[in-house]
Amino acid sequence: MTDLRLILNRILRAAPWQMAAGAGLALLVLIFGTALLGVSGWFITATGIAGLAGAGIAFDVFRPSASIRFFAMGRTAARYGERVFTHEAVLRALAALRGDLLRGLAGRPARQVDAMRSEAALTRITADVDALDGLVLRLMLPLAAGLVAHLLAALALWAIVGAPVACTVVAGYLPGTAFALIRLARRATAPAQQAEAATQALRRNLIAGLRDRAALIVAGRLPALEDALHQQDRAARAAATRLDRAERAARAILSLLPALAGALALLAGAWMIGQGQTGPAAAAIGFFVALGLGETLTALPRGLAELGRMRDAAARVAPLLRPTAALPKAAPAVEQGPVLRLSQPDLVLEAGQMAALTGPSGSGKTTLLWQIAGLLPPFAPIALWGVPVQDWPEDALRARVTLVPQRAALIAGTIAENLALSGEDDPARMAEALEAVGLTQALAPRGGLNTLLGEGGAGLSGGQARRLAVARAILRRPGLLLLDEPTEGLDDASADRMLSGLRSALPDAAILCAMHRHGDHPVFGRYVAFKMRHW
Amino acid sequence: MDRTPSPSALAARRIETPVRAQLSRASALAVLAGLIWPLQAAAIAWAIAGWVGGDLDHTAPAAGLFLLGAVIRAALDWRAGGILFRAGDAVLGQQRAALIARELAARGPAPSAAMAALAAEKLPLLLPWITRYRPAMARARVLPFVHIAIAAVIAWPAALILAVAGPLIPVFMALIGMAAESASRRHLAEIGSLNALLMERLGALIDLRLLGAEARAGADFDARADNLRARTMAVLRVAFLSSTVLELFAAIGVALMAVYVGFTLLGVLNFGTWGREMSIAQGILLLLLAPDYFQPLRDLAAAWHDRAAALAVATELAEAEAAPRQPMLGAGAPADPLPGALRLQMRDAVAALPGGAGLALPDLDLGAGQSLAVTGESGAGKSTLLGVVSGLVPLQGGQVLVADRPLTDANADAWRARLAVMPQGLHLPDMTLREWLGPGDPAPALRRAHVEGVVARLPDGLQTRLGETGAGVSGGEARRLLLARTIHAGRELLIADEPTADLDPETAAQIIDSLRALQAQGHTLLIATHDPALIAAMDREVRL
Repeated sequence: MTDLRLILNRILRAAPWQMAAGAGLALLVLIFGTALLGVSGWFITATGIAGLAGAGIAFDVFRPSASIRFFAMGRTAARYGERVFTHEAVLRALAALRGDLLRGLAGRPARQVDAMRSEAALTRITADVDALDGLVLRLMLPLAAGLVAHLLAALALWAIVGAPVACTVVAGYLPGTAFALIRLARRATAPAQQAEAATQALRRNLIAGLRDRAALIVAGRLPALEDALHQQDRAARAAATRLDRAERAARAILSLLPALAGALALLAGAWMIGQGQTGPAAAAIGFFVALGLGETLTALPRGLAELGRMRDAAARVAPLLRPTAALPKAAPAVEQGPVLRLSQPDLVLEAGQMAALTGPSGSGKTTLLWQIAGLLPPFAPIALWGVPVQDWPEDALRARVTLVPQRAALIAGTIAENLALSGEDDPARMAEALEAVGLTQALAPRGGLNTLLGEGGAGLSGGQARRLAVARAILRRPGLLLLDEPTEGLDDASADRMLSGLRSALPDAAILCAMHRHGDHPVFGRYVAFKMRHW
Repeated sequence: MDRTPSPSALAARRIETPVRAQLSRASALAVLAGLIWPLQAAAIAWAIAGWVGGDLDHTAPAAGLFLLGAVIRAALDWRAGGILFRAGDAVLGQQRAALIARELAARGPAPSAAMAALAAEKLPLLLPWITRYRPAMARARVLPFVHIAIAAVIAWPAALILAVAGPLIPVFMALIGMAAESASRRHLAEIGSLNALLMERLGALIDLRLLGAEARAGADFDARADNLRARTMAVLRVAFLSSTVLELFAAIGVALMAVYVGFTLLGVLNFGTWGREMSIAQGILLLLLAPDYFQPLRDLAAAWHDRAAALAVATELAEAEAAPRQPMLGAGAPADPLPGALRLQMRDAVAALPGGAGLALPDLDLGAGQSLAVTGESGAGKSTLLGVVSGLVPLQGGQVLVADRPLTDANADAWRARLAVMPQGLHLPDMTLREWLGPGDPAPALRRAHVEGVVARLPDGLQTRLGETGAGVSGGEARRLLLARTIHAGRELLIADEPTADLDPETAAQIIDSLRALQAQGHTLLIATHDPALIAAMDREVRL
């Protein structure tokens, strides 16, 4: 529950003003709606009495009919305002929640962040955030507005009609609502979680099965797979059935409450008339208000039925939102020594030098580069400018060391926007960097820096995407540049062009490239044949 | 109202056909429940009119009747809801089973992830359409007319108020429908693009960190999200305005009714009551009918986007059903191995491709213990040839002879019991390595594929969940794991599709060594490749 509270807090904080306005208007909708029925009921009863008494002409019709019109129009206006404000607030909250998630993950260990890149993890996390969307709109807001509306209605009835009617209306609604909602919350949580888990399992296994279909058919495992999928389908549907039963029961109970409160208000009204405490017209208000309050209940079961799913989602999302306890590190110590000193393999790289790291795939080249970049704890001592890599504060390390990973990620937007992620906004420098990696010609006919890329950089070939990522790294002007297979997907001429361009664009940088092709290029001052065996 | 049904509406109609009887029954119950309200209202009118006449004795029986009506209504709704949910659940179960069976038996063109999302997450969107939209529609078609009729019996101006406030119900609904649909579409689209934006940033997070751009990217995300919100709200403001029309008419309807009835009771207005005086009871009954008159319309508006969502799903289902597919021979079920000496021959074979095209394949002959490389340009049909041999792709003409008899639907499973396939795609599913490798002790196979070291390094060894990113397994290692799995199947004929593609020379050499060792142990190899080193390691080559 603390997880849900954290998320609720975050959502409310995103747009407090709009949320408050929306909540206030939601309350007004309920009040005006109830008042419309109450005043109308009173008006008809009172006019009936006046008509019977032949006092029709003396009856003041102006004020009641004006207030009926006011409530009718006011309800409509409030409803419109409520929808606009709450949607505005929720959209802001959605964006804030997602932004927080992004920032929260940004501080996590690299392994965890890397695991987030899988399609399964990404769809999981977005489904979770989507599930939390309803927390305020479908659950908290209707609950709060409904409660306040009941309170105000009870006070108004007490003042206008009398305590017995006010009390019976409360007695008609409150215990039944509490019973139905608590019962629903209890019964719906487990099935909601089970349904979600089974659905996700079904989805995962179907993807895996379809991708591996040929091998499964040959292995004779297709019927077994189909059986397993059917079992998951049945589990998901059985849980959904239990969830529906709980929700429908709650709905049935809640649908009885306006009738119960109305009947009680009717009896209390008759009793008060009998006691001479009130007249028929005022007593009628009690019944109509009791009826009108029924509107407060309609939205609740749906929101509450999703509580289990929301709670699960919150449990997964909330930890990601909490800031990590960042290790406070002192500023980098006095710098002396070579740009990079490795003990395993034995390598010293000075400013302006360039080395190739070769070795079969799986030998640990990528792991080593990640360790040098401070993304993974090192197996053997690694020193940058004489300081052990683990002693570098994040900011200072990033300012001096840049790694271009094998699967460098691009974003949807222009080439310039992708390059600007480096922190360099100057178009002239961007153009230079593109020229250095040999992309200028390929991009010129498509709009140069303004070339628009699709999601994940779609629109570029693999080799072009890689070169763009290298250009982005050049713009960082790092003291140490680490490249993981920068020439993969490039023909020999382009690879030559890029490696030479890289050298002349960053003449003073130390550059270390992991490669299984082009490792013998003349730009490299030395080759480190490498096999890492720590297991 | 009934225009020519759109293709999506037709698709939806086809989906609901098996449960049509249940839907009619539940709709009837829902309408019946709605008909009880006028009776309840009459009881209340009788009681309050009694108060005015000084008669308090009506109150208790009226309150009892009112409550009884509510109980019956709740019971009918409960029953209708149960029937509808079961009907929806049956539809969901049928459609899901059909979809899964269809995709497993004969794969269509849609990506696996899209199919899985359809089966797992989109199909359940059919449920709210059946459980909420259908009864709301049934009520909206009947109840408003009943209310108008009752009002007309008492006073025609009252009926007129209702009829005017809900003017030309179909026009009204079309208006609401359009507004609600565009609003919900807009809302969904907003969430969709926000999610796409987030997924892209999450996917690029490592790069952003390496560029020191995490803070910048966060700010950029906020700016883009804010922009998206502003544009969405501009549309929503208008969309809400048109659905406010419904609220407005409902409120005006109640207000007009109260004022008309009040003035009539006062005697200020005296027309329309068919020459009689309106009683207080009649007045209260009219007032109580007014809000209920609009309720079905409001329910329908609320359920409208359920319909839109269901129609979208129905369309997608219909497309998946109509997509060209590639059927296979046999059922992919376990079977006893086909008897006879291992021998594979192809004579004038023409593969049947999805959509009706054919692909002529070369003749080939492969005996026990031999190895054969199938080569050719990419796209020449190497994978198709392997599919034909393993009964995954049917023939248009010619023959495939396996163990000296034609490969048919009947013996395909038995033939496949003698093969193992190493596919080209590298998809490590989200399951433990142990499960993925298949039953039995995988140690010997891991050794023969030179991957024990890789497995030992994994955090949980054989119990590591692979996941789509491969849990830190590199591309070459994943390929060797795939080989281990193929070896572990323990079959005589190994079929591999580009086993050394995209690998560095060292890893490729390891894989080639493993394959040669397998042949030396008596396995037969059929391998599609364009790797010269691998081609050289095979006994023979067939070019496509």
